[in-house]
Formats: sequence, C-alpha cells, structure tokens
Amino acid sequence: MLLHIGVVRLDVDGHKVSPWHRLVPRTRVLCAGLVVFAIALTPNGRWLTWAVYAVALLSLVLLSRVTLPVLLRRLAVEMLFLGVVVLGALFRPGEDVLWQWGWLRVTSEGLMVLGSVALKGMLSLLMLNLLVITTSVPALLQALRELRMPALLVAILASMSRYIGVLLEEVTAMQRAAQSRNLMSHRRWQRLVIGNMIGALFLRTYDRGDRIHRAMLSRGYTGLIPVPNLPIPTRLDVVALTLMAVLLLLGQAIYLV
Amino acid sequence: MRGMLSPYLGLHIPDGFLNLPISLITWAISLVLIVLALRQVQSEYQERTVPLMGVCAAFIFAAQMINFPIPGGTSGHLLGGTLAGILLGPWAGTLVVTVVFIVQAVLFQDGGLTVLGANIFNMGLIGTFLGYYLYRSVRSAVGFNTWRGMAAGTAVAAWVSVVVAAVICAFQLAVSGTVPINVALPSMLGWHVPIGIGEALITVAAVSYIWRTRAELLFDPPRKLRAAASRSYVSR
Repeated sequence: MLLHIGVVRLDVDGHKVSPWHRLVPRTRVLCAGLVVFAIALTPNGRWLTWAVYAVALLSLVLLSRVTLPVLLRRLAVEMLFLGVVVLGALFRPGEDVLWQWGWLRVTSEGLMVLGSVALKGMLSLLMLNLLVITTSVPALLQALRELRMPALLVAILASMSRYIGVLLEEVTAMQRAAQSRNLMSHRRWQRLVIGNMIGALFLRTYDRGDRIHRAMLSRGYTGLIPVPNLPIPTRLDVVALTLMAVLLLLGQAIYLV
Repeated sequence: MRGMLSPYLGLHIPDGFLNLPISLITWAISLVLIVLALRQVQSEYQERTVPLMGVCAAFIFAAQMINFPIPGGTSGHLLGGTLAGILLGPWAGTLVVTVVFIVQAVLFQDGGLTVLGANIFNMGLIGTFLGYYLYRSVRSAVGFNTWRGMAAGTAVAAWVSVVVAAVICAFQLAVSGTVPINVALPSMLGWHVPIGIGEALITVAAVSYIWRTRAELLFDPPRKLRAAASRSYVSR
C-alpha cells in the first residue's frame, strides 16, 4: 500500500561508511537476492535454518549502521499487510486441535504454518529494506543491468522511477481541484469523477511521453542509454559473497544431516 | 485501514507465502512473458519505447494511489491491469503492469521478490494479457464501433480479470500449503467480487472519458476514427 512514499525517503543511509557500503551495488543486490530466495523458499517448520539466517541478518543490520528508526518504521508498515494475509493460514484441518469455536479450529499445524510464513516474510522484508535504504535507485538499477537484466527493461524502470513523483503530484493536484469544486461529496458522483480523473491523467501522461521523447531526441538519444563509469569490485566483494554463500548453505545443511 | 488493505489481500503476495515449485514455475512463465513483451513492444514503438512505457507505468502506479468507494461499503483502488491492456494493447499493457510490479517489489517492498513471478503471472498474464482478449471478443460480439460494445467489453473484462486472478492466487496459496483452499477460496472471492465491481465501474468511466475526448488514442480505435489516427507528434 506504499504508505511510506512521501513519509520516508529511499536511500536515507546511502552516504554512510561501513563494510556493507564499501561493497559495490552489484554485490549488495546479489547478496540480498540470494538471502531472500534462501529464506523464502525454505520449507515450513525449519526453525533452526531461519535462526541462523536471522542471526546473520541482524549482525548485517548492525554492521551496516543503518538508521534503526527508519528501518523499523518501514518494517512496521509492511508487516501490517503481511499480518492480514497470514491469518488465513491459521485455520486449517489437522489432527491436533488446540482451540475450537464453532467451525473455527486452530490446529498445531496451522500455528506452525502461520509462524513459519510470518517469520519468512519478516526476514525477507528486513533484508530488502536494508538494501533499499542503503543503495540509491540509480545504483540499484545499474546493478540490475550488470546482473544481466535486459537493458531495455532497466531503461524503462529508470524512466518510470523518474516520473513517479511527477505523476503522483499531478494526481494530488487533480484530487484537490475536484474537492475544491465540491465534486467529491456524493459517493456515486465520486466514482464518476475519479474515472474521468484517471482518463484525463492518461491523456496528460501520453502527451507527456511524447514531449519526453522529443526532448530526448533533441539531446541526441538513439535508443541506447549511456553507461556510466562502474565501480570496480574489490577483494571485499568476493569475500562477502563467499561468506554469504557458505552461511546460506550452512543454514540449509542443518536439516540434511 | 481495512478498506485500504483489502485490495492487497490477494494480488500482491508477500515473500514466503509460496513454496519452491510454484515460485519456480510462475517465475519461468513470467520471464518468457517479459522477454516476448519487450521484443514486441520494441518492434512496435522503436526508440519511443523507453519514454512512453516509463510514463505509462508511472501512470498505472499513480492511478493505483486513488481511493474510491466500492459498492458494499469499503473503499478500494484501481488495479489497472485491464485498463492498461485496453489503452496500450496486450503486449505494451503487460509490459507496463510488469514494470509496475517490479518497481513495487524492489523499491517499495510491496509484494515479494521470490513471488514476483507469481504476481506478474496473476496480474500481467491473466489480468492484462488475457483480459485484453476477453475485452476484444466481448466488444466484437456486441458491436466493435459502438460505445455499448466498448463499455460491455471493458466492464466484463475488468471484473472477470480481477476475480480470475484472485481465484488463481487462492489456488497458488493452497497448493503451496500456506492457506487451505476451503479458507482461501471463499475469502478471496468474498473480497474480490466487490473489488471487481469497483474496478469495472472505474475502468468504464476512465475509458468513456477517453472515448469521448480522444478515441484515437485507444489501442483499438473505433473505425470512423481509424483513418485519422496518429499516435505520435513526431510521426505526424
């Protein structure tokens, strides 16, 4: 639901100095991706694996010296949404009934799934928030490009991220205009007004796209975005990636032995 | 708060809710879809692709921020899949919706990374791509060049795409062992049937505005306008 759009700036801690910040963005993105996939795709009920990952993640949070209130505020908003979905996991058929009220039954299996899913969701969110708070959007996109995401897709992502703010402002202005003309007072009218608003927003957007295109052409755009100078990976990046891979495998190995 | 949460109950799955097989299958399908869409859009729009797809994705993103009352009491917001398909066509629409999902997952942690494939599958492939073809067939059946046909196609496709995406999402959650199907299916349908009605009403209102003012901008303009259609200032 993106409640934190205007409230919290992205990459608040991009300028800090720490071992995590010394990694090139590509390594950070790769680390975060590996961690999230490992956490989220571990089967339900493997508590020890997540304990290992949680310890690693918490030490990473401390090591990266992010502003904790910012991290926690983002996490709190996102957990709220997770909580609503996760409740459905509780009510499932099973042998071991812990609590029953009418047809609602809470079983120990349901509780296990609920705990697992909530923990997985929370740890993944922690990792991704850490990444976004410490890495600027252009650096993030450049890292995705280096990790073989199609250049066209990255260019579209970059152009979108640049115009999100502009269009959100436009939406706010249109809503304010409708309110100040008393158009939003009746519920049935409201939907019609909002429909027209979205239609008008599309027309403005399409024309804006054409204007942007002409502006790009006049600055010599040929269909390719120039690549900036890339930061060179150091030995630290290799060490960090190896360490991460070992840790992830170690967490999975607990249940193999 | 409940009203603002409700649209997100199904169609933005967070990390950890789907198991390995479901994640991998939906990721694979979505990757193929993205590559095909990129190729199609690039050949159609040429070097206009980047600015136009960028702002259109920002448009869907901004349109999703607008809350409106839903019949039945709560409030919701546009999901925009069918709208994107109707305005930009199946390939560009799918690409735009996909880009919105990627930005929401990567920058705003809205929808997970491991389940991004599933989210793109549900809203991009089912909601936008198939939604577009449903809209087209209904519109052709009722009358391609009349507003009645346009409105019928838009309304049916918008409602069906939301509800079908929700049902598929319920099955994904059930097969992953997260939420049993006897809980997932009724709660998903309970939420998304009224949300689909809201989606249909708003999409029809938005499309009617464009139909009345600049119908030539629609991906399938009515015939009387097709001769005069021009999609860019540059090529004009």
